Amino acid sequence: MSPEDPLVRRAADAITVALTVNDRPARMIVESRTSLADALRDELGLTGTHVACEQGICGACTVEVDGEAVRACLLLAVQADGAEVRTVEGLAAPGEPLHPIQQAFTDQHALQCGFCTPGLLMTVHHLLTERHGVDEAEVRTVVSGHLCRCTGYQGIVDAVLQADRAWDRTPGDRAG
Amino acid sequence: MIVVRDADGNSSLGARLPRFEDGRLLRGRGRFIADDPPARCLHVAFVRSPHPHALIEDVDVTRAGSAPGVVSVLTAADRPHVPLVDAVAVPGLVKTPQPALAGERVRFVGEAVAMVLAESRARAEDAAELVEVRYAALAPVVDPEAALLLPPLDPALGSNEVYRGRRDTPGLEAAFAEADHVVSGTFSTGRLTAAPMEGRACAATFDPVTGLLTVRCSTQSPHLLQRKIATCLGMDLTAVRVLVDDVGGGFGQKIPASPEEIAVALAARAADRPVLWVEDRRENLVAAPHGKEQHVELALALDADGTFRALRCDVLGDAGAYSFNSASALIEAYLAAGLLPGAYRIPETGWRVRSVLTTKAPIAPYRGVGWTSGHTARELLIDRAARLLGRDPVDLRRQNLVRPGDLPYTTPTGMTYDSGSHLATLERAAKLVDAADVVAGPTADGRCRGFGISPYVEPSGWGSAGAAESSWSFASHDSVRVEMAASGAVTAVVGTPSQGQGHTTTLAQLVASVLACDPRRVRVVTGDTAGTPLSTAGTRASRVATVIGGALLQATERLAAKLALVAGHLLGVDPAEISFRDGRAVAASGSIGLAEIATAAVADPSVRAALPEPDLTATAFYDPPATYSNGCVAVVVEVDPGTGRVDVVDAAVVEDCGTVINPMVVDGQTLGAFAQGVGAALYEDAGYGADGSPRATSFADYLLPTARCLPRVALEHLESPAPHTRGGIKGMGESAMIATPGAVACAVAAAVAPLGVTVTHIPIRPDELVAPEE
Ligand code: FES
Ligand code: FES
Repeated sequence: MSPEDPLVRRAADAITVALTVNDRPARMIVESRTSLADALRDELGLTGTHVACEQGICGACTVEVDGEAVRACLLLAVQADGAEVRTVEGLAAPGEPLHPIQQAFTDQHALQCGFCTPGLLMTVHHLLTERHGVDEAEVRTVVSGHLCRCTGYQGIVDAVLQADRAWDRTPGDRAG
Repeated sequence: MIVVRDADGNSSLGARLPRFEDGRLLRGRGRFIADDPPARCLHVAFVRSPHPHALIEDVDVTRAGSAPGVVSVLTAADRPHVPLVDAVAVPGLVKTPQPALAGERVRFVGEAVAMVLAESRARAEDAAELVEVRYAALAPVVDPEAALLLPPLDPALGSNEVYRGRRDTPGLEAAFAEADHVVSGTFSTGRLTAAPMEGRACAATFDPVTGLLTVRCSTQSPHLLQRKIATCLGMDLTAVRVLVDDVGGGFGQKIPASPEEIAVALAARAADRPVLWVEDRRENLVAAPHGKEQHVELALALDADGTFRALRCDVLGDAGAYSFNSASALIEAYLAAGLLPGAYRIPETGWRVRSVLTTKAPIAPYRGVGWTSGHTARELLIDRAARLLGRDPVDLRRQNLVRPGDLPYTTPTGMTYDSGSHLATLERAAKLVDAADVVAGPTADGRCRGFGISPYVEPSGWGSAGAAESSWSFASHDSVRVEMAASGAVTAVVGTPSQGQGHTTTLAQLVASVLACDPRRVRVVTGDTAGTPLSTAGTRASRVATVIGGALLQATERLAAKLALVAGHLLGVDPAEISFRDGRAVAASGSIGLAEIATAAVADPSVRAALPEPDLTATAFYDPPATYSNGCVAVVVEVDPGTGRVDVVDAAVVEDCGTVINPMVVDGQTLGAFAQGVGAALYEDAGYGADGSPRATSFADYLLPTARCLPRVALEHLESPAPHTRGGIKGMGESAMIATPGAVACAVAAAVAPLGVTVTHIPIRPDELVAPEE
């Protein structure tokens, strides 16, 4: 195979990305084609971010990048260079109590297999950071950006409504 | 059953207990297959057929084999093995052996032809594009009626028909001849797919020293997969160990062994490194087994007063390319015919069942199996009869449903409904959506409202007897083990993994109900064929609560009896005086904590001197009698006659699954199945074009319902405990998926009937609902 072969060029392609993940500095070496989702999972071991379509449709891979909820399967890892990323692992540290959103999800039976859950949590975290006093119609609209095959969404909607009431978003609150 | 209550009279049974598994999953600490690849593993990408039907003339892997990061490329010729085949013994059912990789012929778009093993999935996918397969295209077989006339997919079979059966009750013809009315219709259910959010995935590791092949898999049936792998690879059962951790949804698709899983096992046995395969969404949509596609002709004979006399069906099931290794091509059409009478008293039935091969992905179980299609067709027909007779659809059903006094009731198809609340659930569901207030026809804003109601029976909790009443002889029993550690904590070991049903919580509640201890003191362990007792059928057929639950109740009672012996010795009382309360063994003269008893059983020499076997382990086997849950789904829809858009605006599910272990989990199962049912009725379509290519290759084409497609669903539980199963438990996971498509289809049919539009199949497409031009 010649050095011009795209496969050979790809093999030689390795880029260092430096970013902040869950409030800690992180570095990863990736191919330019690597998605942020794959990089978080494979390079940093943050496997809470799931991929279920890799086409931007299902929302399972959602993380926060510089405060925006984004689909990590659609963002290249190199595009996140210098960014602040928050993943599901950053909502509540091990040993700490669950984040009020996570607590609401278990209280309201908003998850079954749990595969779609991390992405939903990040979207809801973003929603409730920006919005207080949401109603069911608004919640359904936002949640409709995610596919969940197990729950039928009713528990998820109720969990978001509970979290909106329960999460004290005064400045300095954890992960706020 | 002994259910021992705590001091307040409460039992863990029936508690709305948040799930123990949630914390891990919410913190992103789940362990799905892709989350924990084995060290040094090779990643697989399959080369898949772009043709629906073709002969394979040549496979050239030279270029792919030398691509960067590629370790090997395998084709059918490289790894001889025993092909997959179903284990169903029904006279006349034709077997269609299926190899792990297609060798001579491909029979559907997406069938695996070669597998690339490389250092990463990306590298493997790059190289898969370099595998050159030369095909000689053959005609696709898309229409199941035409399949009978076309050359067979497997020349050795002689025909594309794999099953034809006929069964009439003796009075069928007379009932039709004497009936005042006969209402008939032809209905069909499109192809669906389970679409679990985690697709299929497995990792296999072979130890050449011990000869042990370990396969971690996203499966519903670890023991079944163990049997399939051992058979295909010619290994002893004990040389194959199947592990299961978290499974990101299954819904039936992960019951059978996938050919790809066999290919991964074959590759790993020959490689000196572990092999990992995690399918992507396109693979899951086109190559994983589908569900449902059926064509149902029905005729209902009625008396002038609306009494049902007889129901006849002719069911044609489209099995796809193989009669799959799950429960064969019969999983759809045959089961649909068996549940033909549903929740109604219909004295005579007749059925014809045919199942044919087509060049599509094979059909496997998908929640509700064949019952969904048969049920949907019957409910649409009953509504059609109601319209013809000028009867209210609720009232016509009320007149014909199984009544309390009829129970136990045996259908002409051989199912005995042991108990239930068929009429009561109908009345409640109708009331919850205010059926009486729904006026069909245009609303003020020009939309058409329609009401649909769909009372159901779910053959549930399959042990072997239940399986036999529904279908065929089928080993469907389980064993369990319960043990108490010296700390007083209990471990319950079962062979049925969870795909989100919450077994870690609900099974703990059952065990705790017997010992009257905190369910948090019970750890449920599963997912390792080397350590868990045998579950012949795995997690399917709404059977875990009944079969595993019943086995656990008995094993825990046996453990309680052992604890009573030790406690009796320690307290100096007759063990028969001991009861359990608040985590303690209690006698009139005093009490002792479970931890103290368990510690003494291990460490106290006086216990060993007094009791021959003071071990705190108990096992039980359970193969329950058949049981049937029931309930009713009611919905209200609004149809925009200009665009054909359907909105489900109100819904209720009233269900009765006997003794409820955890109502929150039952709600979750019901709501999830309801959503899938709405998807089946209105959105989801895994159909094929006339050229044999799949229409749905991404979630942009295969439309799952979203939160905005669904109304808030009112839920109620009635409890008619099963008279014959342990604990009165019935199963329930599939119910709403059996009945919801029918409820939605009936509601849409009612809404558009005034426009002269009829509904004969699901999914209902918007363009079919737009009133025909004058
Ligand atoms: S995996 Fe990113 S949206 Fe589906
Ligand atoms: S909980 Fe299983 S996909 Fe949402």
